[in-house]
Amino acid sequence: MAIEMKVPAVGESITEVTVATWNKKEGDHVKLDEVLCELESDKATFELPAEAEGILHIVAKEGDVLPIGAIICTIEAGSATASVTVADAAPAATPAPAAAAPAVAAGPTSVLEVKVPAVGESISEVTGSGWNKKTGDVVALDEVLCELESDKATFELPAESAGVLEVIAQPGSVVPIGGLLAKITVGGSVAAAPVVAPAAAPVASASADANYAAGHPSPAAAKILDEKGISAASVAGSGVGGRITKEDALSASKPAAAPAASAPAAVAAVAQGGTRREKMSSLRKTVARRLVAVKNETAMLTTFNEVDMKPVMDLRGKYKDKFKEKHGVGLGFMSFFTKAVCVALKEYPSVNAKIDGDEIVFHDYCDISIAVSAPKGLVVPVIRSAENLSLAGIESEVVRLAGKARENKLTLDEMSGGTFTITNGGVFGSMLSTPIINAPQVAILGMHNIVERAVVVDGQIVVRPIMYLALSYDHRIIDGRESVSFLVRLKQLLEDPARLLLDI
Amino acid sequence: MQEFDVIVIGSGPGGYVSAIRSAQLGFKVAIVEKYAVMGGTCLNVGCIPSKALLDSSEHYHNAVHSFQEHGIEIAKPKVNLDQMIKRKAGVVSNLNAGIAYLMKKNKITSFHGLGSFDSAKTVKITKEDGSSEVISGKNIVIATGSKPTILPFIPVDKERIITSTEALKMKEIPKHLIVIGAGVIGAELGSVYARLGSKVSFVEFADSMIPTMDKTMGKELQKSIAKLGADFYLSHKVTSAAVKGKEVTVKAQDAAGKEVEIKGDYCLVCIGRRPYTDGLNLAAAGLTADERGRIAVDEHTLQTSVPGIYAIGDVVRGAMLAHKAEEEGTLVAEVIAGQKPHINYNLIPGVVYTWPEVASVGKTEQELKAAGIAYKEGSFPFKALGRAIASMDVDGLAKVLADATTDEILGVHIIGARAADMIAEAVVAMEYRASAEDVARMSHAHPTYTEALKEACLAATSKRAIHA
Repeated sequence: MAIEMKVPAVGESITEVTVATWNKKEGDHVKLDEVLCELESDKATFELPAEAEGILHIVAKEGDVLPIGAIICTIEAGSATASVTVADAAPAATPAPAAAAPAVAAGPTSVLEVKVPAVGESISEVTGSGWNKKTGDVVALDEVLCELESDKATFELPAESAGVLEVIAQPGSVVPIGGLLAKITVGGSVAAAPVVAPAAAPVASASADANYAAGHPSPAAAKILDEKGISAASVAGSGVGGRITKEDALSASKPAAAPAASAPAAVAAVAQGGTRREKMSSLRKTVARRLVAVKNETAMLTTFNEVDMKPVMDLRGKYKDKFKEKHGVGLGFMSFFTKAVCVALKEYPSVNAKIDGDEIVFHDYCDISIAVSAPKGLVVPVIRSAENLSLAGIESEVVRLAGKARENKLTLDEMSGGTFTITNGGVFGSMLSTPIINAPQVAILGMHNIVERAVVVDGQIVVRPIMYLALSYDHRIIDGRESVSFLVRLKQLLEDPARLLLDI
Repeated sequence: MQEFDVIVIGSGPGGYVSAIRSAQLGFKVAIVEKYAVMGGTCLNVGCIPSKALLDSSEHYHNAVHSFQEHGIEIAKPKVNLDQMIKRKAGVVSNLNAGIAYLMKKNKITSFHGLGSFDSAKTVKITKEDGSSEVISGKNIVIATGSKPTILPFIPVDKERIITSTEALKMKEIPKHLIVIGAGVIGAELGSVYARLGSKVSFVEFADSMIPTMDKTMGKELQKSIAKLGADFYLSHKVTSAAVKGKEVTVKAQDAAGKEVEIKGDYCLVCIGRRPYTDGLNLAAAGLTADERGRIAVDEHTLQTSVPGIYAIGDVVRGAMLAHKAEEEGTLVAEVIAGQKPHINYNLIPGVVYTWPEVASVGKTEQELKAAGIAYKEGSFPFKALGRAIASMDVDGLAKVLADATTDEILGVHIIGARAADMIAEAVVAMEYRASAEDVARMSHAHPTYTEALKEACLAATSKRAIHA
């Protein structure tokens, strides 16, 4: 059987690669995982390992530009050697998670397995959040098939090849990296092509918590699912070892807005009322896990202060039109706060640090994370080296990142590596809160709403726009003196923004 | 003409269950039964009466052989075969009445007479008095069951050469009963008379008793029945049987072609059963039976080639078991109601009600070998089981076959006291795809026979039975 090796999906934004060099020649006998050639994308160079042992037949020459999913070469597998996907259930067979290694059936039609690509170092599973295409649809190369949600980001999965789609992973199901999402029947008749190895899917998902019985419906559950026309594969089992219980089946619903075949059952489910259960998205699970971990693992406490916002507001009122005209971006409060934070961080470096084992890591730069409420939950993109940015530079970064956050388009890079976080509960009307540190950072600034309050200035009661500030910090490395002084310094800078200019 | 939503032909365990389930689902249901009483083979001349006699003979056997050991001294017990048969008849009529009551309770209209197709939508009922009536049904369920297979060269006279039906109403205890066929029915009825004092000789074409079950079961069962003084002619092919006065002579050839001649006073022929559709007039409905007499049905819906006509139980493919027919009866009723039920045929247990009982579910060892599936085996003998020792029922063992990689239970085979009841646990476990270790980690009450299954699961998990 010949294995067709295709250009793997190597990254979200990469649509084509160039064959740089072949390490092997036509007709060479290659071993499994042996590097066949080097591929170059506009971002990086990477090696293509052999997916099977056998005789190499080169299809794409050096210098050829190939789209993702195009055939690079074929490997004529020996009689005894099996292809990657046909590999038996031997637990030793580590499924190479590297990229979406498409496996293919021999014959006039080939079946391309669409697998979850490796999207980041720390990401082990993704949640399918919605198919743009359904089983039986004809898809074009690079057409977006579905959205995948990891605990950090949402990304789109383009078709690696044109063909007929068969959806395997239903929306909401959690699939490990390398797990089977769909199959694309390339060429030939539309009729169900012979599946190379039905056993391959469970094997591929042999992650730590995988179980041979996962997804096995109980007898009653099987009947209910059949009647609802829902495949057991699309239901997450809550029973022992991932088994599908009767309750799972009762609460399962068809992914698409198909008319309920069994209306009485659906009505019954709704009529129960009272509670509703939803599976937590992986983003939500991660947020939950991290927040609890921070609470448990740090010595977190919060200090407060208040800022008279009149000077900043006056300045803003005076220049906002000109600012917009010149920089093409509005002058908000965020840039003042970010700038002030950068100045204060320079003076109190322990607030801009993190703990690594027995050591404290101080950052000479200020990568400021900004908490943004995205449709799927809280995300925290980073303004890089904010200390070097002008107010306009900061504003345009904020606009860019917040926009991407709302569209679930933030990349992992854009969300990792911050050194300090600013969160603004004020946009929702919060007067005062105690934010939780964004680990491994050690401090977070909470902004709040601006309220006109009666304050005493020079012995007179006057009305001023006041914002309460909260700084939650990890007392393990930040002492009270530093945290309080940091906040007081912020207050100073914001109440007299000229200091930002003069650096005093 | 009376019209029904569902007409069920045959009132055996498949038919009457299908009728009740149909009625539960709101259908107007009729049931047609050829005989005067309901219940079919199972209740009248099968499972139930044979179990009644098996229990009676077991009591007798215990009275003769183990009471003394138990410390019970009684005068030498005597078999009153008439009373045994009478009690059995009482059990049967009790249950006949039960089914009649259930029909009434579920508002099912019962027709007594030979049901036959008049068309694909109508059934003609010919009553004993010769009168007939035609009823129509939107759906018709064929549940006419099976009859004992008769070989052309064995002249069954129902006097000396008999079938299971006659064996359940014997007038005397045979001195030497020759049983042709050592399958489930032969083993059960043969052991009834062996316990009552008959000399029993089994003549079997295959090389073991109950040859379709796991090999270990046949071997162990033979050991137990041999203790009753039975003789075995395994791998023997019967060539003739003849009656001369009160003597039956059975001739058979062994594997090498050497002929043996066995003489007895009765010969019980239990070589299997054939689907029974005689007089059903399938042609009128546009149906035909296959070469083995079965009616072809859709794998999932049990609908025949004619829409609206379904067939269940012994007349269709699969094991001829009452509980399989019951599941199919339920399934068909639900299919007619638009539901999508499913039967896991791999998990229909098979049971032999000898003593010790044999019960089995899932794959046999020979099936796993043939399929090339890597498996682990764990066994536990009843003689190491506290409860079995206390009850003096130490024959037998529990055997668990589990997947070599996943530890999922693939087959459970038990021979021993109460195996028939114990197998239910294995069915539950396997429906949920439990591993051997799963069952091994579940608490089993002590002292019970079910501990044998737990221990066998421990053994299958990693050879770590506690009491072995």
